[in-house]
Amino acid sequence: MSLGKVFALDKVANLFNIIRQNGGLRGVLYKLYRQDDIKDGVLVGEDKYGNKYFENPRFFYGRNRWVEYADRYHLNYDASQIPAEWYGWMHYKTDLPPHQDPSRPKYKWMLDHTENLSGTTGQYTPYSTTRPKIEAWVPPKSA
Amino acid sequence: MLRQPLTRALALGSPTRLAPVTTRRYAEQAQAQPEKVEVFIDDQPVHVLPGTTVLQAAALAGVEIPRFCYHERLAVAGNCRMCLVEVEKSPKPVAACAMPVMKGMRVKTNSDLTKKAREGVMEFLLVNHPLDCPICDQGGECDLQDQSMAFGSDRSRFTDIHFSGKRAVEDKDVGPLIKTIMTRCIHCTRCIRFASEVAGVDDFGTTGRGTDMQVGTYVEKMLLSELSGNIIDLCPVGALTSKPYSFAARPWETRRIDSVDVLDPLGSNIVVATRTNEVLRILPRTNEEINEEWLSDKSRFACDGLKRQRLVTPMLKDSRGNLTPVEWEDAVVAAASALRDCPPDKILAVGGEMADAESLVALKDLVNRLGGENVCTEQYFPMEGAGTDLRSSYLLNTKIANVEDADFVLLIGTNVRFEAPLLNARIRKAFIHKETDVAFIGPKVDLTYEYMHVGDSASLVKDLASGTSGHEVMKRLQSAKRPVVILGADQLKTKEGAALLSYTQELASKLQENLQEKDWKVLNVLQRTTGQVAALDIGYKPGVGPVLASGPKLVYLLGADAGVVTREALPKDVTVIYQGHHGDQGASIADIVLPGAAYTEKRATYVNAEGRAQQTLPAVTPPGKAREDWKIIRALSEVCGEGLPYDNLDEVRSRLAEISPALVAYGNVQGNNYFAQALALAKSVQRPVSGKLDVQLKQLEDFFMTDPISRASPTMAKCVQAVLKQKQSPY
Repeated sequence: MSLGKVFALDKVANLFNIIRQNGGLRGVLYKLYRQDDIKDGVLVGEDKYGNKYFENPRFFYGRNRWVEYADRYHLNYDASQIPAEWYGWMHYKTDLPPHQDPSRPKYKWMLDHTENLSGTTGQYTPYSTTRPKIEAWVPPKSA
Repeated sequence: MLRQPLTRALALGSPTRLAPVTTRRYAEQAQAQPEKVEVFIDDQPVHVLPGTTVLQAAALAGVEIPRFCYHERLAVAGNCRMCLVEVEKSPKPVAACAMPVMKGMRVKTNSDLTKKAREGVMEFLLVNHPLDCPICDQGGECDLQDQSMAFGSDRSRFTDIHFSGKRAVEDKDVGPLIKTIMTRCIHCTRCIRFASEVAGVDDFGTTGRGTDMQVGTYVEKMLLSELSGNIIDLCPVGALTSKPYSFAARPWETRRIDSVDVLDPLGSNIVVATRTNEVLRILPRTNEEINEEWLSDKSRFACDGLKRQRLVTPMLKDSRGNLTPVEWEDAVVAAASALRDCPPDKILAVGGEMADAESLVALKDLVNRLGGENVCTEQYFPMEGAGTDLRSSYLLNTKIANVEDADFVLLIGTNVRFEAPLLNARIRKAFIHKETDVAFIGPKVDLTYEYMHVGDSASLVKDLASGTSGHEVMKRLQSAKRPVVILGADQLKTKEGAALLSYTQELASKLQENLQEKDWKVLNVLQRTTGQVAALDIGYKPGVGPVLASGPKLVYLLGADAGVVTREALPKDVTVIYQGHHGDQGASIADIVLPGAAYTEKRATYVNAEGRAQQTLPAVTPPGKAREDWKIIRALSEVCGEGLPYDNLDEVRSRLAEISPALVAYGNVQGNNYFAQALALAKSVQRPVSGKLDVQLKQLEDFFMTDPISRASPTMAKCVQAVLKQKQSPY
């Protein structure tokens, strides 16, 4: 065991490494504000929506792969914004990220990914099949 | 003249078919009461008048005898046998409903013989009654269900489990209001008696006998009556049920709220049955002074109009001239700025046919505070002479219940049958049971009873008033002890209206002078709408004519849908604000629409044609963004900067009481006098009249759709179609 480890200097080095990777003090504060967490890791890839995927095996299994959502989501990010291609890698179904996996099928009929729109104006609302209790008067339209 | 079928005329009259004496001030006070006889009901002594039936005597003793066919307002039929009771020294049980009491009679309503007789009757009825209670609309309010539980046998001897011989009867089609399931009929004949005695339509009857007996119209025919819905209430089983209400709800699921009807000027008392904030049906509520226990078909069935064509959101005209939904704030601000910017003398406020007293007073106060004086009602009433200053000139002074004590009724230009169906039922009752005669001036119409048709010329009234008429009616009127003259308010719209009213007042006061009973009122004016009396009491000017001609800049329609204010009659730059509950005439010409509440949705005061103030209670909430009417006007006044000095209903009502205490004397009619003074003022406007008297509602098909609620009602539209179709039929 090196002397540095005995005095936990490697942790201090890690801290400086993390701060550097996350873009200095300003960047660290921004990331803490946005995602409550700062980590250092290897950028594995980026999807077409701008989400960045990172990996660092120093963290324990389950926390060692993560995503940083694209800046345009700001605070309105959620897991449904991860496209299907990256889902498998994020959930440890595969260790091959989509751009390194040639076996993935690609057809032209495959739909683009959409996030979950519940709670937004774009959400799906089934139309009612019951008659309204009160039928409102519709004023006549002038031509 | 035989006024009722011979069988009915000879049948034992039940004294209570006329309203109870307490509600009729003029009921045979003079006649000496015969001595009472003592009878014993279950050994309990009761003193009753001779001629009383055992059933009524038992009711006085607090014992209710089960019955199906007996109904206190109909003739006694005595054919259901459910009221069999044991009478001491009588070999057989006797039918209590048809048996007059005799001195010292001892009736046992709970003896073994009585119980056995009831069980036997019940068994026979149930043998021929289908076991379809789970799908029957009468379930829960069925007399047969209740009485078979209470008085039926505890075990069955019915063995025909394959239903090989059970009676089945084809259903009849009697129109769009009444659904018939004739297999359920137990032949109580209440519907037949109601139709022929009260409604005056002799269409119903029985054919066949024994098991083959059927109640019906013989040839398929619609029941052409304006009171037909009452046979649904009368039917003790589910043979006659309401078609619009079929399979809608069970009685124990509904909330019942006592209220008042506003679709005709009588203000019948009703019960509004609601569930899940929806009006399901309207039933009559007994009020001996107004509607007894009946209700006209329009009041009963037009309630589905409350769910159609409703105004649910405030609306403003956009740049293209289309009404578009907006928020309350925008609509109120727009309406308030229009009110503020308009010169006060150019504001015209019109109170409509179904406007309640609270909103009428709020609107009048608002316009007055802004400096305007033009608050009018839709319907005209002559302002010459006493005008609307004396309440007696525009009310039904005799009162509805007293009409049945009249001995001569003169109707001037009013088809009472359709303008006030239950008043007509009262006149018919007097005609049948009390030998009252009726004369009619106006076009020939069917009033369901015979009347002397005097003619249709207005000058006949003048001749009668001056005493120069040689007609028989003159003699009859002069010899009558309790004459009643009813003038239709529609006749006052014309130029000759003032003179006609004056002549009628003169006729009435001449008749009144000769009367023995000085407090009997002769003069009656039958208003056409509910809102009119309250509006006149509050001080609205009748008729919009003169103000409309002077070119108003702003018109505020408070539920005014009668079509007297039209876009064509208004200047181009006028702003029309409509406040009301239905999209009808008024809303279609409006620039600003403020959604109000209908009569089932607010606690509001209505004054009926007699001048009786009554209040409705909220049964459901107003739909969408609609609000109670007086609150809308109160909010407008605040934005106008002329805040009205009342913030809750009690304060509005104390304001009403300031104007006229009669407006808040709920349930009471205040006595009206000053007939002589009204006549003295009206004498000056007497001039020759030559016009013909015409009524607006002549036929049954005219009756159903007369106001925004009934015009929006699909049931009423079906009724009109059905009546027109029936008219094509050879029967």
